[in-house]
Amino acid sequence: MDINLNYEEFKTDMDNSLKGTRKKGRSQIQLVWARFKRNKLAVIGLSIVILVILIAIFAPIISPYDPYMTSPIRKLEAPSSEHLLGTDALGRDVLTRLFYGSRIALQIGVLIVLFEGFIGIGLGILSGYFGGWIDNIIMGLVDIFHSFPVIILAMAIAGIMGQGIYNVVIALGVVGWTTYARMVRSKILTIKEADYVEAALAIGESTFSIIVRYIIPNALSTAIIMVCIMMPTALIASATLSFLGLGVQPPTPSWGSMIAAGRDYILQAPWISTSAGIFIMVTVLGFNFIGDGLRDALDPATKRN
Amino acid sequence: MNKNIFKKLFRTVLTAVGVTLIAFLILHFTPGDPARIMLGPYASEENLAAVRAKFNLDEPLYIQYISWVTNIAKGDLGTSIRYNRPVTELIGDRIGISLLLNLSGLLISLIIGIFLGIIAALKKNSWLDYFSTTQAMFWLSIPSFWLAIVLLYIFGLKLRWVPIAGMYGFSSFILPALCLGLQQEAWFARPMRSEMLEVLNQQYIRTAKAKGIKNFMVIGKHALRNALIPIITMLALRLPWIIGGSVVIEVVFAWGGLGSLLVNSVLARDYPVVQAILLIISIAVVIANLLADLVYTLIDPRIRLEG
Repeated sequence: MDINLNYEEFKTDMDNSLKGTRKKGRSQIQLVWARFKRNKLAVIGLSIVILVILIAIFAPIISPYDPYMTSPIRKLEAPSSEHLLGTDALGRDVLTRLFYGSRIALQIGVLIVLFEGFIGIGLGILSGYFGGWIDNIIMGLVDIFHSFPVIILAMAIAGIMGQGIYNVVIALGVVGWTTYARMVRSKILTIKEADYVEAALAIGESTFSIIVRYIIPNALSTAIIMVCIMMPTALIASATLSFLGLGVQPPTPSWGSMIAAGRDYILQAPWISTSAGIFIMVTVLGFNFIGDGLRDALDPATKRN
Repeated sequence: MNKNIFKKLFRTVLTAVGVTLIAFLILHFTPGDPARIMLGPYASEENLAAVRAKFNLDEPLYIQYISWVTNIAKGDLGTSIRYNRPVTELIGDRIGISLLLNLSGLLISLIIGIFLGIIAALKKNSWLDYFSTTQAMFWLSIPSFWLAIVLLYIFGLKLRWVPIAGMYGFSSFILPALCLGLQQEAWFARPMRSEMLEVLNQQYIRTAKAKGIKNFMVIGKHALRNALIPIITMLALRLPWIIGGSVVIEVVFAWGGLGSLLVNSVLARDYPVVQAILLIISIAVVIANLLADLVYTLIDPRIRLEG
């Protein structure tokens, strides 16, 4: 019965591609989604991330106060019905700043992942496809950059470039691309051996066309998982830079610098640091659950016994 | 096999050279005058000229690099702008502290990881198993500096069990080491679980059980020993973090290690120190990677043959 089903799928696939619509019966993405949905933690993770994205988008609407409005008479107030998570040392509403902080966090996280992904995936493709001395040079670079613990090199670069959102992105992106390059390269090495690539070579397609038409689309799934897996690192690393005073600067509401500011008042107002930390933790946990779920869904063979 | 080791050594040397290049070029990462980057925007012309002369900043880049590397080879890492002391002295005072802290963290993570891994494997698919796998992800999702602050708040400020900052003997050592240990334990718990599961399925375990050896002995003597071998490789892979792993933790706990020296030097734009620490930590990583490679080859003969 299974065989028949597959045959039906195959037939519709063939028909569709003959008609030129190229609609697939059950694409890999649909299969992965079906497996992903069965994983409870992954679904929880996805819900958390969607919630954080919604908070970031609607921050101006759902926030009770202005994130920059100070009010000296209301400083360090404990959580109450007026200020659900209390106020900080300048009398600003902590919850509001946390909501706005999600904008900064996601913005930086996405930019970092895109930036390092752009460098890493590009170099990974070049390295894997061309091999030879190009591969040697790129992998040599990977070895070199990989020898610096991420946060340490990023700190030094951020220190030199000065504070600010884009400098955080550059500092962490310049350091973090190596993981992408390695993963994408090994994926390309397997794709390169595939029959369709050999066939394309045999009929004389150009290198550029082979990379664009066959290699990149097939390596894309690897790249997408990489993005989900790299997001937690990007979030934590950028929060760490802000915490150390090398990232986003106050008064911009970033979770990392809020923890740093709240640390000075930890005895009088523990809610500042605590709530900011919980926001980071829950968001990162969400991405980690998604990443784990995706990994299992894409590669059921390695799922824990 | 010798050829392989030679190849690895060659690559290691190349990587080490690359690492010195990055640590050197870091100051030239942004367009602009390195002297001004070091002294800040309000420096006087005389001070700028003095710094330029001191670091040969008017020479071509490659000559600066060569003289920097030559000095390092002679054991001279330069002079700190902020402390006006040789960088080697500054680092020498602090490297031991960082090493000790990271080693204790590693030890704690190893103990917790192996313990949780064994339990998870023995009680496979129970809530204990589930707990052990999920808690690892929980620790990995917490920013280390926040974990440090929360632990300090609870055990230092509220319960007053440990000092809140600084280095005062063993009691001030517990929290930072625990922070490091908890966050790294995931590295060992998962592999330990899967190794243990694999070993428990082996024939010799069944034989041992059939002979009537007590369960505790079977696990302790036969299973554990064999399952631990891959953990040694995992341990070797963690070696690179042995110096640089505690940077942020050191800052929160006000520990005078290499990490807090690095952060303070970055903030104070004390670049000779920053460059030197970058160099030391990354060279340590390069060496540790080589060691990990060698350990791996020694333990698993298949890799030696395949090359």
